[in-house]
Amino acid sequence: MNISTDPWVWIAAILSLAIFSFLYKENPFYRIAEHIFLGVANGYLVTFYWHNILVPVLFRPLFAGRLILILSFTIGILYFTRFIPRISWLVRIPIGIYIGYYTGAYIPAVIQASIIKQIQGTTLTGANFASWHAGSWGILWSVIVLIGVLCTLSYFYFSREHKGVLGVTAKIGIVFVMIGFGAAFGYTVMARVSLLIGKFQFLLGDWLGIIH
Amino acid sequence: MKLIDRMTRIDRRIIYFILALVVILPLVFPTVLKVKPMAPVEALYEAVDKIPADKALILDCSYAPQIKPEVEPMAVAVLRHAFARRKKVLVLVLYVQMLGLAQKALTQVTGEFNVKAETYEDSIIYGRDYVFLGWTPPPLIPMLGMGESITAVYPADYYGNQTDTLELMQQIRNYNNVGILVCLSGSAIPKSWVAYAQNRFGVAVGVGCTAVSGADFYPYYQTGQFTGLMVGMKGAAEYEELVEENLKVAEKRMASEAMLSLTYAHVIIMIFIIIGNIGFFFQRRRK
Amino acid sequence: MHKRIALVLVFVFGILGIIPFLIPHPIVQNFDEFIRNDILRILAAFALALALGSLLRVHVDKIRRKRVNWQYSWILILSFAISSIIGLFGGVAGTGLLKTAIGSFHFDIQTLYENIIIPLASSMFALLAFFMASASYRAFRARSYEATLLLVSAFIVMIGFLPIASSISSRLPAFAQWVLNVPNVAGQRGILFGIALGAVATSLKIILGIERAWLGGGK
Repeated sequence: MNISTDPWVWIAAILSLAIFSFLYKENPFYRIAEHIFLGVANGYLVTFYWHNILVPVLFRPLFAGRLILILSFTIGILYFTRFIPRISWLVRIPIGIYIGYYTGAYIPAVIQASIIKQIQGTTLTGANFASWHAGSWGILWSVIVLIGVLCTLSYFYFSREHKGVLGVTAKIGIVFVMIGFGAAFGYTVMARVSLLIGKFQFLLGDWLGIIH
Repeated sequence: MKLIDRMTRIDRRIIYFILALVVILPLVFPTVLKVKPMAPVEALYEAVDKIPADKALILDCSYAPQIKPEVEPMAVAVLRHAFARRKKVLVLVLYVQMLGLAQKALTQVTGEFNVKAETYEDSIIYGRDYVFLGWTPPPLIPMLGMGESITAVYPADYYGNQTDTLELMQQIRNYNNVGILVCLSGSAIPKSWVAYAQNRFGVAVGVGCTAVSGADFYPYYQTGQFTGLMVGMKGAAEYEELVEENLKVAEKRMASEAMLSLTYAHVIIMIFIIIGNIGFFFQRRRK
Repeated sequence: MHKRIALVLVFVFGILGIIPFLIPHPIVQNFDEFIRNDILRILAAFALALALGSLLRVHVDKIRRKRVNWQYSWILILSFAISSIIGLFGGVAGTGLLKTAIGSFHFDIQTLYENIIIPLASSMFALLAFFMASASYRAFRARSYEATLLLVSAFIVMIGFLPIASSISSRLPAFAQWVLNVPNVAGQRGILFGIALGAVATSLKIILGIERAWLGGGK
């Protein structure tokens, strides 16, 4: 055992254990650690927003003569009107610009990436058969994917009652949905356990020096 | 209380204790389990390995502290791979809380290489071999802006250097000079790279993600939108295996060392679920 | 009137967001670059002020009115103030006006990040493993055919991706990979189409002013 003598490692370990104390029940140590996290995390944000954005992107070029940035500065300042009730409606201007541009840029990007390309990946073409690198089995896998996608879409079609042909396809669709969710759950278990392992690696390795 | 009833009412603190035990014991008595790399990870490895000499790797280290144990081993493994094969590397992050982690991974890996380097040419030199571009919000700016000019998006790097004065940035101007962009993330950011950067500029995108997002990304891997895919700590361990096996880079393998703990934890959780279901079935039959 | 200005802006900038995808002409692309680099980037920085202002206002209010657990709000405000001062005056790399080292003890912003933010954030998420284990044991029941299917699929993935899987059966890892590559892709893709179409529809509604929830209340 080779316990660390670095005061920061001890601070990190104590804060970690304070969070873990929540497993027993909520307590003041957990609350203190939680509030320290919020405070320091926001202080970190302020630091980098100032040093990495506001100074090099706004103030330095503005004072060097790039006067068009007065427009950006003015629109940005409008965010602070949120705290003045009489003129708080002005905050909608920068929010509107931001949301407008983002939603506009989003539409063609998502149509291309998440709809058109995904449809192309579902169709029965030679390129898709070959993409499995499974020889002639690739044809069967592509057919299964096509049937699965169509049946899954039919399951989420709620404008008609799931009877007859639609009922059959919806039942097949739910099979694929459940397999997908099961796979996601299996992966989620791996994810959560990994985070716990990482924490113990720090406590037992860096702090207590039990593992090397 | 009958055994059947006990099976469905195990105290949660017992479950916590047993889980902690099965995770801790393999860490204290370590055994490195050999993992077999699967096709998606091999595809990513090949794509990074085949980056031409005149092109760069862009590594987006957009993983938050919350998911560090899963994704940091991926960042370290990819950096080791890139530096061992003398690929040019640009590192960036899309959100501010990830800056410190990217900095940490770079410091660790460059330190590993420079300790062993015997000449200046062997060393990993900032500005010549890699550049840490840093962060600029919002994420859309670098995704679209780097298609025209990387230095216009990042006029200064993380350390405050003017990027257009750096040697590496004289050769790497935009996505045309990028072999692949590898995004390491815990959210849907890789899909955004595909939607914005790949759609408009054709840049190849590889992904390392948390296991939570893994199942969602397979449709994009199947269409070829993701060139390769590493999922979770297991994916990181597979990449580490490929790096050590092919490049003989023998350094600490954070993900591989955790595989035994991961295995036992999985097994114990499955046992708990089975016990709960056995008790549930017998109770249902009794009713 | 006030809302109309915002709706006009969202429409105009929505169109300005779509056009560069369709028209590769340099004039359009350069204007798009100007909007992104010189307007949006700066707006993103100022948006932080809004978020921070709200957070601080809530906690100052809590202290003033002595609401439940008001004492913890002091901790938040003090730790925020200290870390902000260290970061703003100490600099990103600890090379600012404020000295961030006393002998070999460093307290620059990167040190605070590595020893406070990383351990706290990772600990909070590490707790989830315990809760997930306990919740899986209590709630994951094969009550129906669909639940059983979900359970079996989860077990295949969980076992198949462990290093010991090939000891159980040499085909198990490949089978688990097939489950992820084929039926999982089919199910996820169907859901993905629905989400993507819904998102596009919502985006169009926002740009056209049909969806107005983002405007908030008031005139």
